[in-house]
Amino acid sequence: MNLERLPNEEKLTLCRKYYLGKLQMYVCVWGFAFLPFLWLVNVVWFFKEAFVKPTYTEQLQIKTYVKRSGLGLLLWVAVLTTWITIFQHFRAEWGEVGDYLSFTIPLGIP
Amino acid sequence: TVPCVRLLNATHQIGCQSSISGDTGVIHVLESEADLEWPLSKGPNPPYMVLLESSLFTKSIMMKMKNASSRVAGVVVVQKTSPPEFSPHTTCPNENTGVYTETYDHNLAHCNTTVWNPRGNGLSYEEFDSPVFSLKEDNETEVIKQCYFDHNRVVNGSGLQYPLCAMQLFSHMHAVTDTATCMRRSSMDFSTSPVMVCDPLGGYNVCAFIRPYNSTAFGHKENESVVIAAARLDSRAFFLEDSTGAEGSVSGFVTLLAAAQALREATQEAPPTRNILFAFFHGEVFDYIGSSRMVYDMKNNMFVIDLDNVHSILEIGQVKTLRSGTNLFLHSDPVSRRNNTVTNLVKNLQSSTAGLNFSLVETDFSQPLPPSSFQRLLRARAIPGIVLADHQTDINNRYYESFYDNAAHLNLTYPSNLSPEEQLEFVTDTAKSLTEVATAVARALFKQAGGNNSQVNKINADPKTVTQMLYGFLVRSNNSWFQAVMAPELKDILHTLTSIKKVLGSSLRCVFCLSEPNPPQYYVGVAKSSHQANALTYLVQYLLANLTGTATNLTQSQCKKPDELPNESTYLYSYLWVQGVVPPNSTQRESFCVRTAVRLVKAVSPAFDLGDYISKEYSTWTKSQWKFIKARIFLVASRDLEMLTLGVGVAVLFTSLLVTYFVRTKADVLFSSVREPNNAAY
Repeated sequence: MNLERLPNEEKLTLCRKYYLGKLQMYVCVWGFAFLPFLWLVNVVWFFKEAFVKPTYTEQLQIKTYVKRSGLGLLLWVAVLTTWITIFQHFRAEWGEVGDYLSFTIPLGIP
Repeated sequence: TVPCVRLLNATHQIGCQSSISGDTGVIHVLESEADLEWPLSKGPNPPYMVLLESSLFTKSIMMKMKNASSRVAGVVVVQKTSPPEFSPHTTCPNENTGVYTETYDHNLAHCNTTVWNPRGNGLSYEEFDSPVFSLKEDNETEVIKQCYFDHNRVVNGSGLQYPLCAMQLFSHMHAVTDTATCMRRSSMDFSTSPVMVCDPLGGYNVCAFIRPYNSTAFGHKENESVVIAAARLDSRAFFLEDSTGAEGSVSGFVTLLAAAQALREATQEAPPTRNILFAFFHGEVFDYIGSSRMVYDMKNNMFVIDLDNVHSILEIGQVKTLRSGTNLFLHSDPVSRRNNTVTNLVKNLQSSTAGLNFSLVETDFSQPLPPSSFQRLLRARAIPGIVLADHQTDINNRYYESFYDNAAHLNLTYPSNLSPEEQLEFVTDTAKSLTEVATAVARALFKQAGGNNSQVNKINADPKTVTQMLYGFLVRSNNSWFQAVMAPELKDILHTLTSIKKVLGSSLRCVFCLSEPNPPQYYVGVAKSSHQANALTYLVQYLLANLTGTATNLTQSQCKKPDELPNESTYLYSYLWVQGVVPPNSTQRESFCVRTAVRLVKAVSPAFDLGDYISKEYSTWTKSQWKFIKARIFLVASRDLEMLTLGVGVAVLFTSLLVTYFVRTKADVLFSSVREPNNAAY
C-alpha cells in the first residue's frame, strides 16, 4: 500500500488502527499480542509522514500516535531482552523449572 | 569402531561427549608420553586428534589430554599389546550400594580395611568432553596411519605443510547432567515425536530351581528352605562394547553352570531336603542391578520365594586357573558372622575338596566381603553365606573390568594346528582346574541342601562341558555346540555379535587370533521394553536348560502349547525348542523340545519402577541415546586459505552489488543509446 496515494484522513485512520491494534473488529484480541510488531510497523511506516513531510492538519495526531507507538515498542523491547537474557543464562541452573518453561530442550547440553 | 558413550546415575555423568557437528582435529600418532607435548603445547595446528596405542592408554596421559581439551579434539585408541596391568574401574567397586554402609559397620565402609581394587585408576568413571574411540588394528587403521605419515609427519622440527590429514569423530550424546534430568526430559517433550534421551540399564537374571515352584504363586512358601548358588554374568570395560570379563565373570558363571550339570543326576535320583536355586545375576557391575531387583521382588512378594525361605548362599566370584597346590578362598561377612554361623557351610565346602587338587581356605575373619551379589542379600537380611574367590585379600585380577581380561589372560591356549571344531573339544588346563572347582561346588551344594552323604562322591563336573563353554564364551561363540543348544530363531545372535576381542599378547600359540573370533558382549546393555534379552542372557539360559533340563519327545507345535498334554505344565517348567545337532550323514538338524525349570527374571533397578531417580538405595544407571556415531578422515586446508576463499567470495558479492546498483542508476544512459538510431531514423 503506497501511502502517497492516500488522502490524509485515511492515513490518520490507518495510523490509529495500527496504534490501537484494531485492524479488524474480530482480531482486536490478537492485536494485543502482536502490539509490539504493530507498533514497529507504525513507527517505520509513518515516520516520514509524521516528521519529515510538511505540516498538514492530521499530522499532529499522526505524530502522537507514532510517538506513543515508539515508546511502547521500546518498552516491549526492553522487557523482552531482559527476560530472554535471564532465561538463556539461568535455564540450566533452574533445573526442573527451566525444563518446564521450555518448549524444546537442547540435547546433550545442560 | 567402538565409542566411549555417556552413562548417568543419580549424581554424575561419566563417559565422553562430542559436539553435535563432530569434533575435528589434525591427526597425531603418539609415540610416547613425552611426545604428548606436541599436541598439548608445541604443535602449531591445534586442535589435534591423538591416536595412541593401547599401551599408552593410561590415566596420566588421558588426564593430561582432558585438561587440555581446547587443543585436543579427541582420542583414538588402537588395540595392540596389553600393558602389564590395567584396571579402569574404581578402587572400591560399588561402594555405596553394597552392605558396608556407615550404619552397618563404620570401619568397613568405603573400603577402609581392604581396598579391593588397588590397581584401579577410575578411568571408566571419568567425564570427558571430547570423543574417545577405540579401533582394532586392521586395514582401516593402517589407512589412517598412512595418511598421518604422508601428510602430518614433522620433518626436522620445521613447520608442517598444509594440507594436513584430519579426523572427525561424531558421538553426540543426548543425555546430560544426571538420571533424574534425562528421565524427566524423556517424558516431557511436547513435540509429536518425542526424543528419548536416555535408557535405564538392565536385562534379565537367569534362575533355575532344581525343584521348580508354580511360577504364578508368589510370596512365602511354607516349609521350603532354599540354598542359593549365585554368580554374576556381566562385566564392563572403558569402551562398553568391548567388555570381555574372562576372569571377572566368565570363570564364575561357567563354574556354576558346570556345577549345575554335575548336580542334575544326583538331585534327580535322591532329591535333597532343601531346594537349590541357581541364580545368574546381570548388571552387577553397575551397582548390583540384578541382585537388588531380586531382593526387592522377594521383599514385595513378586518372586516365587521370599527372604524367609532362603537358608544360605554360596556365591562363585572370580576363579582363575589354579596351578597345583594353590588355594581358593572363602570370604564371609564379619558382622553377620557374630550372630549367624557359616561353619556348616564352610565345613561342607572344605570337605568337598577331598580328592581334588586344591583346598579351600577361609580368609581372615575381620575382613569384609569382596564386591559380590551376596552383599545385596545381606543388606536385606542377615543370611549366612560364603563367596568363593581366588584372591585372599585384594583382587588378583590385573585387568579387572578392562578389555584385556580375555582368553589370553585366563591362559586359554590351544595347540596351533587345530581346526575350530577341534579346539572346541580340546580340554585346556584352565578347563581342567575349573572342572575341579565345579565339582567341589556341586558337592558342597548337595551337602548344604541336606543331600545324602553317600551320593556325594558320584557328583563330578564334566571337563568337556567346561572346556566347550570356555571356548564358546571367550573365543568363538559360533560353534557347533552352541548352535545345537540354541533355539532356531535365535541362532543369528551367535553370528552378529559385535564384541571385539583382539589382544594378541605374547601368546604365540593362539590360532583363534587369525580367524574371526566373536565372543558375546558382556556389558549388561539397556533394558528393552520388548521381551528381548541380550545374547549372553540367551546363551546362559539355553545352556542351563540343556545342562539341567530333560529332553522330551514333544513335537514343535506341542512344545509351543504343552498345557494341552496331561503330564506337562507351564506353571512349573518352560519348554524350549532347540536346534539340536546335525548327525554325521545328513544336513537336517535333529531339533527337539527341552523341558526345563530355567526362567528369565526381569532385572531392572527398582529405582525406575519406584520413580526415584535420585535413589541412594538402588542402582540408577542409565545410558544416553544418540543419533549416529561415525568417524571419518580427510585432508584439511590451512586456516589462511579458508579465510582467503571466504574473503574473495565476499568481495565478489559486494562488487556485483555495486555493479548492479551502478547499472541501475545509469540505466537510461547505458540503454538509451540503443533507441537513438530509431529516433534518428525518424
